[in-house]
Amino acid sequence: MPVINLWAKEGYLSTPDGNSIYFWGFAKEETGPALLPGPHIIAKQGETVTVNLFNTLSEPVSVFFPGQTAVMVEERPVQPQYINGRLKSFVNHAEPGGTVSYTFTPTHPGTFVYESGSSPHKQVPMGLYGALVVRPADYNPDVREYRTAYGAGTDTEFEREYLLITGEIDPQLHQAVEEGRPYLVNRYLPRYWTLNGRCAVDTMMMDDVDYLPHQPYGSMVMGQPGEKILMRYIGAGVDNHPLHPHGAHTRVIGKDGRLLRNGGTDLSYQRFTVLVGAGQTYDLIYRWEGLGFTPDNPIPTTLPNLRNMGIGDAGWTMWSGSPYFGVKGDIPVGVISYNEFGEYYFMLHSHEELQITNWGEFPGGMMTWIAIYPSLSPDIGVLK
Amino acid sequence: MATVRKRFGATDGWVVMPDSTRHYIFGFVDITGVPEDRIFEYRGRATLLAPLLQVYEGDEVYLTLTNLGFPNRPDLDDTHTIHWHGFPNQIPIWDGVPEASISVPVGRDFTYYYRPLDPGTYIYHCHFEPVEHIQMGMVGPLTVRPRLEIDLGGKFAYNDESTAFDREALVFLTELDAEPHYLLENVQEFDWTEYSPEYWLINGRSYPDTVRPAADPSLPMQPYSSLIEAYEGEKVLLRFVNLGYQQHSIQVLGISLKVVGLDARQLRGYNGEDLSRWRNAIFIAAGQTVDAIFTAPSAGIYPLYNRNWHKNTNAGKSFGGMITEIRVLPAP
Ligand SMILES: [Cu+2]
Ligand SMILES: [Cu+2]
Repeated sequence: MPVINLWAKEGYLSTPDGNSIYFWGFAKEETGPALLPGPHIIAKQGETVTVNLFNTLSEPVSVFFPGQTAVMVEERPVQPQYINGRLKSFVNHAEPGGTVSYTFTPTHPGTFVYESGSSPHKQVPMGLYGALVVRPADYNPDVREYRTAYGAGTDTEFEREYLLITGEIDPQLHQAVEEGRPYLVNRYLPRYWTLNGRCAVDTMMMDDVDYLPHQPYGSMVMGQPGEKILMRYIGAGVDNHPLHPHGAHTRVIGKDGRLLRNGGTDLSYQRFTVLVGAGQTYDLIYRWEGLGFTPDNPIPTTLPNLRNMGIGDAGWTMWSGSPYFGVKGDIPVGVISYNEFGEYYFMLHSHEELQITNWGEFPGGMMTWIAIYPSLSPDIGVLK
Repeated sequence: MATVRKRFGATDGWVVMPDSTRHYIFGFVDITGVPEDRIFEYRGRATLLAPLLQVYEGDEVYLTLTNLGFPNRPDLDDTHTIHWHGFPNQIPIWDGVPEASISVPVGRDFTYYYRPLDPGTYIYHCHFEPVEHIQMGMVGPLTVRPRLEIDLGGKFAYNDESTAFDREALVFLTELDAEPHYLLENVQEFDWTEYSPEYWLINGRSYPDTVRPAADPSLPMQPYSSLIEAYEGEKVLLRFVNLGYQQHSIQVLGISLKVVGLDARQLRGYNGEDLSRWRNAIFIAAGQTVDAIFTAPSAGIYPLYNRNWHKNTNAGKSFGGMITEIRVLPAP
């Protein structure tokens, strides 16, 4: 039976424009840093999960699990908590310095969010949220027909999988909480937009880079041509975000932790933009096939002299310098190319374009890449 | 299938709103077939929306982008690109993301190639500093017509006879915040997190300009009308596009719309099930497209408007903004 320990703590986030922002997050261990988002909880359909919450913050904190039923505390169903007749938490909470332990048994596979149910208008934007992934009961990562989002026979096999959790940051809220000042949440005005707790260009950095101790999760999506890449979107913020990957439509196979199927009827669909609403989750398969152009089957347009073109206007590029897959060309001197093997990069971003800025400066915000590599280690794109 | 060759220039220009305010824009202008020594005459003549790109499924499309520069901001030497939004299986060189391939500097050309394999309603836009260039107006409509039209004659949204229609109209939604337009005209910076539009546009115009005819001489840079006219009983396809930075909810008073396509995909299940559905409000997010068909009811005027009422204004005054009319005429 998996046991997950979450410590509600304070910490400081980094944004790529050099800002440091006070936040609240869940840590994996007592001495570990608060994380944004909180640690991924990976559970299995039919297996009981215990989540122990230790609260080091100065007000009550709780965790609730939208989409899960029969969540228990001390062998009784979770209950809203009232103080002097006023709602304080949607579920049983831990007092400052206290603990609370939740148990539940996921009845069906899918993608879910977990978040604080205490003053969520403040605590969730402050960072007290994370992902809950429930594996199907027959899940087996080593056998393809059992490496699925929703179980064998549901046409949801995948080669690699990624979580992309949307959020927003209004620095005024964070500063007010840090200084113990009042803040009117109806004045909420985000200046940063996050994927997995990071703003672009930090979204493109690897997991666990040491200069982002509170933001361990990158958002680069990587795969090979033809592979089924499972992307799990979670709307953990207050606003809705239209996520648009370039290069291919995504096939939406699950929504709010439910397979899009009615009996024998497949209700999955393809979209080039998916509006991830607050609190919603989506499971999608992205698949890029390629057009088969090679130096022997050249592209039907002329590639101009690269000295006459704009390349790496921001000082960097994801391009290889060649139009061909797996081929490296020349990049002008002075431009840094992050391209490794001639892989193709497709942008994935919010199409509310102001959200791909950091406090108004492009590039930034809710933006990352899908990288299609000629070959890739099977260890990449594995959720841990 | 045909080979389509087009050439669009990137430049700047001006648009007007019904309250007589003038706003500086960036955009595209159609220079297909214009001799090389005359393309400079198109500087400063960007249109909102950019020219319609209309092709057939299976066509080979060569689209040349020429950066004509900004005569109103000669100091601004931004590069531009064309991104075909929603085109599946693109390769980066033609995807128009400058951070993942190339962009076109002033005085240069680049030819994009597309072979669309799926019909539907798409969008194209510049992807260079997209928060700025899309708001400034570098957005255009893009339709891929189905093969079925060639095989059967007639008009269809998708390769399915259930999507037949008699007329079609574009409902292309954008917003205009006057402040960044003013600041860019005057070489100043704008904080995009302060974005707060006061004009809401259909096909580049705000009501009542929306119901003026196409190519109205008083709106030289806004060539598209969104006045929709049909005879009783005709089937009309509305191609909704949202390329603003807000979510919109569009209604037509007195007419229900049957949504037959979303994001350039017909609403069919994997086993061919008919998943089209009736709607009284088209809720559409930034970057989405919706295809909806209605049958023109008895003669009359049927307003089309944004159910977010504040978007039916021009700088705070009503009526304005995202409103147009469907005028149904008695059958001839
Ligand atoms: Cu994009
Ligand atoms: Cu541009």
